[in-house]
Amino acid sequence: MGGRMDVFAELKKIIEELMDIKDRNITPETLLIQDLGAESIDLLELAVTINSRFKIAVRDDEIFLTRFRLYSAEAKQQGEDTMHYIAGKYPFLAKDRIADIMAHIKEGPQLKIKDLISYVTYRSQWV
Amino acid sequence: MSLHFSGNRALILGGTCELALTLAKSMIESDLFPILTYRDDKGPRTIGEALRPFHGRYATCFLNFGDRNSLESIFSQIGDDLNFLVDFAQGNYESLIAGADEDSVYRYFTENISSRAEILKKVGRAMLKKRKGRLVFISSAAAVRPNPGQGFYAAAKLASEALYRNMGLELGERGVTTVILRPGYINAGRGRIYLQKQDRIILDAVPIKRAITGEEIAQTVLFLLSDGAAGINAVEITMDGGHTSGK
Repeated sequence: MGGRMDVFAELKKIIEELMDIKDRNITPETLLIQDLGAESIDLLELAVTINSRFKIAVRDDEIFLTRFRLYSAEAKQQGEDTMHYIAGKYPFLAKDRIADIMAHIKEGPQLKIKDLISYVTYRSQWV
Repeated sequence: MSLHFSGNRALILGGTCELALTLAKSMIESDLFPILTYRDDKGPRTIGEALRPFHGRYATCFLNFGDRNSLESIFSQIGDDLNFLVDFAQGNYESLIAGADEDSVYRYFTENISSRAEILKKVGRAMLKKRKGRLVFISSAAAVRPNPGQGFYAAAKLASEALYRNMGLELGERGVTTVILRPGYINAGRGRIYLQKQDRIILDAVPIKRAITGEEIAQTVLFLLSDGAAGINAVEITMDGGHTSGK
């Protein structure tokens, strides 16, 4: 398994194929839903393709950070430190990334290509 | 008219029932490769005897709906190479709602709804990889006109129908479509046993004055699996000789 740049190159290819996107400046900072307009069916297909291309198990709600806001609310309800709680749910995300998502979550879904890279890299360690 | 099919590998759930075996024969004759599931030790023998002339042209697979490990291992066996799913699997639990045993109810719904959802997730994802697939759920006209005691059966059938319907809505744009078949009285397997216990007069209420045959079900399912039927998506079709159409 190559480094993060190899994973990025492969993910970029997959997304361009699946979503039939050409000539878009896709970078690790690209927001999948807000910038590329990815819908549920696109994410589902992406999960399935990541599973077969990288040979890792993929849990959709984990890789796409679907429950980020729910976990935030759960942490507050249970009187837990939000950062610590969310880091436990998403062990593949760095703490500064979690802080970044929390800061911008009100703008809409914060899922970026770099989060997918983190997930693939993290899960590949266990393969 | 000859039928055209996109692919040839068909997973048949509940593969030991007479309808499934009749369908499997028709599939093999149409150059499809059925993979029939069984849930106990008698399964392979039942299937082997029924499909004796077709040795090597089908496969069998153990699947116990109540066992999640069994669900995992079936897909590591079949892999992602799947074009069709035909679902005959159905457990039975007869009880008045107000008289039901709670543990039995939980188990029944887990085996007949939750497990089915798990299988559909795996099948759907495998078919998505090819952006092509066809799923047929064998429900029952009894799901919408149940007798007392059939409430749990009806609930499981209707919930399963909803899962299949939504799969067709959600994945249709990616080439994966679904259809639900609701047969009425069938002169095969469990249906034949039921009819033998009833008065002959029961079939007078059916406009065609007879039960549907297993061969008719097989031919209908084959058509529904074929390319020409892909436009029939996320919908139920009743096949009961007109029984539920009139008063």
